[in-house]
Amino acid sequence: MFKDVDETINALAEEKYIASREIATTIFLAMKMEKPVLIEGPAGVGKTDLGKCVSSALDMDLVRLQCYEGLDESKALYEWEYAKQLLYTQILKEKLSCIMEDKDSLKEAVARLSNEEDVFFSDNFLLARPILRAVTSERPCLLLIDEIDKSDSEFEAFLLEVLSDFQVSIPEIGTIKANRKPFVILTSNNAREMSDALKRRCLHLYINYPTRELEEKIVSLKVPECGEKLTTEIVRAVHRIRELQLKKEPSISETLDWARALLLLGQSELNPETAVDTLNFILKYEKDIELAKKQAKNIFIH
Amino acid sequence: MQPGIQKKLYDFIDILRDAGVTVSTDEILALFDAVPRIPFDDRVVFRQSLKTTLVKDFTDIPVFDTCFSEFFEGQASDIDISSLQEDTSQRFSREEADALEDMVRSFMESLSEDLIMEKEADELLSLFLEEIEAAGSSGGTGINLFQQRSDPVLSRYSGQGGEAGDDEERDRVNTLLLTLIKRNLPRKRIGKKINDREDYLLNKYIYQLTPEEIREMREIVRRFGQKLKNRISQRKKRVKHGSFDIKRTIRNSLQYGGVPFKISHRDKKIERPQIVVLCDVSGSVNQYTRFMLLITHTLQSLFSKVRTFAFISNMVEITPLFMEMDPERAINSIFHDTDFTYGWGSNYGRCFDMFVSDYSDSLTKKTTVMILGDARNNNQDPGLHSFIRMKERSKNIFWLNPDKKHLWDWGDSIASIYLPHCTEMKEVNSIIDLSQFIDKLFTDLALNR
Repeated sequence: MFKDVDETINALAEEKYIASREIATTIFLAMKMEKPVLIEGPAGVGKTDLGKCVSSALDMDLVRLQCYEGLDESKALYEWEYAKQLLYTQILKEKLSCIMEDKDSLKEAVARLSNEEDVFFSDNFLLARPILRAVTSERPCLLLIDEIDKSDSEFEAFLLEVLSDFQVSIPEIGTIKANRKPFVILTSNNAREMSDALKRRCLHLYINYPTRELEEKIVSLKVPECGEKLTTEIVRAVHRIRELQLKKEPSISETLDWARALLLLGQSELNPETAVDTLNFILKYEKDIELAKKQAKNIFIH
Repeated sequence: MQPGIQKKLYDFIDILRDAGVTVSTDEILALFDAVPRIPFDDRVVFRQSLKTTLVKDFTDIPVFDTCFSEFFEGQASDIDISSLQEDTSQRFSREEADALEDMVRSFMESLSEDLIMEKEADELLSLFLEEIEAAGSSGGTGINLFQQRSDPVLSRYSGQGGEAGDDEERDRVNTLLLTLIKRNLPRKRIGKKINDREDYLLNKYIYQLTPEEIREMREIVRRFGQKLKNRISQRKKRVKHGSFDIKRTIRNSLQYGGVPFKISHRDKKIERPQIVVLCDVSGSVNQYTRFMLLITHTLQSLFSKVRTFAFISNMVEITPLFMEMDPERAINSIFHDTDFTYGWGSNYGRCFDMFVSDYSDSLTKKTTVMILGDARNNNQDPGLHSFIRMKERSKNIFWLNPDKKHLWDWGDSIASIYLPHCTEMKEVNSIIDLSQFIDKLFTDLALNR
């Protein structure tokens, strides 16, 4: 457990995640208040990474659920193992006739049978899917529900119970409550608005592109071979490019790719010509590259 | 938690609500759960704690930031009431000071919005004093409060005191009251100011927007578009249980030794509307044009099957432009690189003819056509024949006209020639109008497929 916001930042830094004070505050509060966090923001700013790093910083098991259209409860919560149940019936056939032997009428047989425990719908045949696994886990665990916006709105409804009470209701068995509350992190790319009910249950965190200082730190941490000079220049250029009116702004991961590429090309400082030639590492649309080329003077020369 | 802080947080929540941010009870509970766990002296942490618990819609974040900095970092926060209270503590007890603040508050509640927005703090102070004096002479409740406390300093305002040489004390009380008013003023103002400005811009005639206002609106339109998109995407519910899916059923049956234990159905999705937008970009609708193109761009990003065309007297498809660039740049490059003109002024007839001959492949029985323009045809052939062909080939045609209804046939406008052949011709003046129209359009399209 983190003691305060600063410790959160340090612990995440050890996992090679540079968190801003804002991010650390929300993570710290979520941990203390035992509330889920909904993380939104542009693609490639490290939403999923944050989840992973929190889990390893707190030494928790990571249970990850990738959402997609059509994801339903049988893949996210639990499923009955029909095949095993069928097999079981076969095995039990003889045993059953044994039990029933001394009963004459059908009525008595049914009565006897219902006295037996419900063998089919028991833990033996329950296949735990990620959410149930996170709830029943013995070790502290972090449930990362990735790209929740890709799922259907019905799926959100299943989640509500888990998010507010940390429990899963299975009609045939009853309610399974968490031994220890899992740390839940949801990420979204805003393809779809989440329902108010879901948002109410979560703390909200919007991660935007980092400030220059922060991004420099990230680059020098992830690509340490880069050197101070090149790092500063790369980050400055990327920030200037983000200010242009682009269709898609370069994300942090693209900055890192670019840094690695320039390193491979043996650059020790940002040379405008090489920079223009390698723009396709950070810009993914032809028109965006064209625009950046036009503005190359302002971007690369200071 | 100190009661002072609690009060301040409630004030802040009021401001957020005034500014149009939805804050529910759950969120307030979360806030009060969070606040004791963090240090107050760290501004960034404090601000993030408020943000993370209260604001759940990221489009509201800019509003939150403005409110926060005005409320906690602006003038209001600099006023330190405690030092003043100490100063006058010989004459005021803690409770009396609180009672005084309550009075000032209820006085400010009673004022109309206009007064709050327009008057300066010292003007409000003299209003307040007048009210007390009036209450004093007629035995109103306000002064009774003072008299019950039998406080010599305050009772002076009822006109009963008035000893010479006490002017200094009177000044002190005045300063305290002024401070109280100043402190309460922004609380009433901040949220309203933001909300009013947005309302004003959204409802203003698009015709009358100044270039500065259009720039200011860019952000608002973006937020607005995002919200519209969210609302629409929520309605895009998948309909389960389409027709029987043999392939998937057999695939699933393998799990149970070939017994088709679970029947699978094809997913049935609601068809997304197919829209064709024709936008008049001529000078007669100048400011309107940029704006409409912005809206067109938003439309194209809202629905997946949208083709957009712009015209003056040439019809040009701009769908790919909008797909490649952000709206601002796309709109600029449209005016630079594209030739819309053939002859002089807008020519609806020629454009409709061109559309039918060149782009009629974009029309199917499922297409909704939206025309944005004022139907000012510069006395040329209306091309009604082509227009009727378009109508026949599409599902419906909506015409959004920026002119007021009574001007529809004024001058060279020939709106009424097209009118009988449109599904609907609608006067669209402000963003509010437009968003209502789009909202309704989508519901209709989704319902009667």
